Amino acid sequence: MTVAPEKSAELVVPEGHVKLTIDGLEVVAPKGELLIRTAERLGIVIPRFCDHPLLDPAGACRQCLVEVEMGGRPMPKPQASCTMTVAEGMVVKTQHTSPVADKAQQGVMELLLINHPLDCPICDKGGECPLQNQALAHGRADSRFHETKRTFPKPIPISTQVLLDRERCVLCQRCTRFSSQIAGDPFIELLERGAQQQIGIAQEKPFQSYFSGNTIQICPVGALTSAAYRFRSRPFDLVSTPSVCEHCSSGCAERTDWRRGKVMRKLAGEDPEVNEEWICDKGRFAFRYATAADRLLRPMVRDADSGQLRESSWTEALRVAAEGLAKARDEAGGVGVLAGGRLTVEDAYAYGKFARVALRTNDVDFRARPHSAEELEFLAASVVGTSPESGGVTFRQLESAPAVLCVAFEPEEEAPIVFLRLRKAARKGRTKVFHLGQWTSPAVDKTFGTLLPCVPGGEPAAIEGLFFNSGTAEAFEALSGSGSVILVGERAAEVPGLFSSVLRLAERTGAKAAWIPRRAGERGALDAGVLPNLLPGGRQVTDGTARAEVEQAWGLAAGALSAEPGRDTDAILGAAAAGELGGLLVGGVDPYDLADPELALRAIERAGFVVSLELRPSAVTERADVVLPIAPSTEKSGSYLNWEGRRREFGTTLDGTGALPDCRVLDTLAVEMDADLFTQTPAAARANLERLGATASTRRAEPPAVPAPPAPGAGEDGVLLATWHQLIDNGSLQDEEPNLAGTARTPVARLSAATAEQFGVVAGEQVTVATERGSVTLTAEPADLPDGVVWLPLNSGVSRLRRELGAGHGATVSLRPQARGGNS
Amino acid sequence: MTTFDERPATAAETEVFGQDTVDRARAIIARYPRSRSALLPMLHLVQSVQGHVSQAGIAFCAQQLDLSNAEVSAVATFYTMYKRKPCGEHLVSVCTNTLCAALGGDDIYAKLREHLGSDGKPLGHEETSGTPGEPGSITLEHAECLAACDLGPVLQVNYEYYDNQTASSALELVKALQSGQKPAPTRGAPLSDFRKVELQLAGFFEDNESDVDGPSAAAETVRGAKIANEKGWTAPREPDSVEFPALPEKK
Repeated sequence: MTVAPEKSAELVVPEGHVKLTIDGLEVVAPKGELLIRTAERLGIVIPRFCDHPLLDPAGACRQCLVEVEMGGRPMPKPQASCTMTVAEGMVVKTQHTSPVADKAQQGVMELLLINHPLDCPICDKGGECPLQNQALAHGRADSRFHETKRTFPKPIPISTQVLLDRERCVLCQRCTRFSSQIAGDPFIELLERGAQQQIGIAQEKPFQSYFSGNTIQICPVGALTSAAYRFRSRPFDLVSTPSVCEHCSSGCAERTDWRRGKVMRKLAGEDPEVNEEWICDKGRFAFRYATAADRLLRPMVRDADSGQLRESSWTEALRVAAEGLAKARDEAGGVGVLAGGRLTVEDAYAYGKFARVALRTNDVDFRARPHSAEELEFLAASVVGTSPESGGVTFRQLESAPAVLCVAFEPEEEAPIVFLRLRKAARKGRTKVFHLGQWTSPAVDKTFGTLLPCVPGGEPAAIEGLFFNSGTAEAFEALSGSGSVILVGERAAEVPGLFSSVLRLAERTGAKAAWIPRRAGERGALDAGVLPNLLPGGRQVTDGTARAEVEQAWGLAAGALSAEPGRDTDAILGAAAAGELGGLLVGGVDPYDLADPELALRAIERAGFVVSLELRPSAVTERADVVLPIAPSTEKSGSYLNWEGRRREFGTTLDGTGALPDCRVLDTLAVEMDADLFTQTPAAARANLERLGATASTRRAEPPAVPAPPAPGAGEDGVLLATWHQLIDNGSLQDEEPNLAGTARTPVARLSAATAEQFGVVAGEQVTVATERGSVTLTAEPADLPDGVVWLPLNSGVSRLRRELGAGHGATVSLRPQARGGNS
Repeated sequence: MTTFDERPATAAETEVFGQDTVDRARAIIARYPRSRSALLPMLHLVQSVQGHVSQAGIAFCAQQLDLSNAEVSAVATFYTMYKRKPCGEHLVSVCTNTLCAALGGDDIYAKLREHLGSDGKPLGHEETSGTPGEPGSITLEHAECLAACDLGPVLQVNYEYYDNQTASSALELVKALQSGQKPAPTRGAPLSDFRKVELQLAGFFEDNESDVDGPSAAAETVRGAKIANEKGWTAPREPDSVEFPALPEKK
């Protein structure tokens, strides 16, 4: 080091800080800071493997040894700088200034490499491997170990997607610490002892964690590798593009690694405000849907003679689509727009604008799932426009909240990064987490949470009970603490009165309410005005001032926008099924996600003219008159709004594939219909949206005020159905990824012992849950559900409730044991 | 490398741990402020039932303590007193650390391996002669220091000491064990069998606390103290305050 030591008098040591010297540099550090971090801040790199800033210190690998002097007295041996905290007057010498530290580090490196196979040329990690890099930087050129290395069979699968090569492992325990501390899934552990010490799993108990992929990324050697990525490419052949996850509403920062026009893998990006350094396995592994063989690449038009879809030119398809839509608009009662919940803000804006400008209707809705008018009011009054800047709830606030209540929201399944934050907050003992739900799910346990049990549909009554019922006084008390948060999830839309109750609870306790939808595009579509009652920026359709602003910005004649709120998804489909709507424009909507798939299919068939913008064939494209292919998220730019309302912008990963984003397709389609959207590119759409700015209107939407209904009962013969999506399920964005699918939770039917007995159901045997539409048969598993309730996953394996039962959360279903050996 | 038995736990195996074992498990858990602290005695408990820590035993402990199977496996595979394969009626541990080995421990171990082996093949470490659990069956292991160097070479049967052994005395002892006898240990409690001792290690003495109360120090061990006592020898008193040596000069 060439920096001259500064005079100590110049450094002010604030309260709670200490002054120490590292490599001759005086530095002030907060008490409790680890030496390795203080050195990092000075730009001094100390080699390490086990140290990770988001994990508790372990001191497992011993690579970060430094020389330490305390009170003028040198410590007898080099110390691990990743476990030692700073102290007043400490003098630290790293490998840069201390031959002792340097030699110690070389010795540790030599030891770590004794049993390492040195198979870098065939290792996935080669080229981006901390062991490789640090061995070159801080190791000896030669090993003095000439005996036979210890070997293990390799690799062994510890789950369908994570492979373990024990020979490469340096036993740093990053993976085991991540699993037990961060994810709460301690299914991977240090086994055996001495030279046989190794990472492993219990027999028959694979590493079934939704976050297991993170262990692959933080493994500082090539011991944990991904089944999907193994042997696919070398790090130095990859191009890395920052990206944003397209799956849930957390909006995680990711890094997409690709080569030759193909995405090879996704890694967690670093964003301390959002996902820190973690992502879930769905975000990491589920990207191959975009390269599925059935991906739509050419526009298709239904041939008038054969009735079959045939590939066509863009010119022809757009002309046919424009003519058909214009005709439906003018002569057949209008066109409804179903946008879907997976759009970028820019694409969503184009759908909204297309509906208003080209189709002259407010019949537009992004909600491709059960929904309600109450939800619309809730979104308009409490959600739209909120953001971290405007004081909305953030990830960080979850961490500092004294209490968080999850209502109709299953964080681990629906927004895994929210779950990680809740666990982190609860683990540090700062936050009490309450779950208003049906049973003690893994997320309740892992957030050290308290279950406030209620029957499905009984959530509003349970919330009202919070005010008055002494049994839940603790929750009410906790939520009254300043900074408390109520998180409400997508299935709240299936429970009448719930949004109103949540707002009442928020008002009474002072807690902030936040809405966490499940899909990445929902929050953005809300703010872009893809709803029957809202224009962009939260402007209400019924508000004249707001309409005038939009009309002016869009260059429309005054009064061109209808003051009448349009139809929502169900009403659009109902009208189409009844022959009242002449056409449908459908984005990425799967009819089997809707409350009533039969009605949706009937509506699409009945509608005179259907245009489908899709990535891959679906029940909609099968019935559409024109199918227009659009780009997946990797082939376009744009931004998502995550549940916080934080803008998550991303650039194009794969350029020049020719795939067009929805906004471009709609723009051109509008031109064919003599309307200008100015959404030729996502950037143009963004600029057009931003020109609208904030509204000058002072009118606020009225919050919903639906009285809480009494908790429902299912009568004598039926039971109430509780259900939500599991993270890894039959979702079409997880197609083509069998390794990921192998870590899905097994679908089971959960019910209480009393309910099982009442219906003659035996734990571990099959039970059939049915409605008049159909039935689903699963293995029965006892759980702490309220009596008279059965829980099934919404869309996992054979448990496809909307498709098979036409039923969702809160529905009444029948229950019967399935005879042994019978089939359904 | 020894491995767990390869079969997954079946319902029949979990039934091995009947109500009395569940009651004992709860009693162990009740001893500690945090349930996971009970894991070590719990593993001895399942070992007292099955003669080893089976997959069913691991699942049982995990279930009782609300741990994952991996966490229990980690502990069970770390400590050598948890056996992965069913043990015999008796566990014979021969000390082969430096002092005992030099004094004849290696010879004893070799002799016993040869005697207990079959088909001309000596018995290996942690292997069992006879049918595990049956009377007269013996599991042999070489052990790290048994903390009786002054009495070496020593061996233990079910963790009870047999001091100052020779290859022939050890062989006689093992032959006696095989024939169903229970020769008295040199000191400590009378000999029982492996599973009973495991139950004691789990903290259950079944009204036989006196079994483990016996004097465990040998005459050799306390001889020095006795002589010092007779002659009135004591260690020099520690000074009230000690001056630290001066700091070395800074360079």
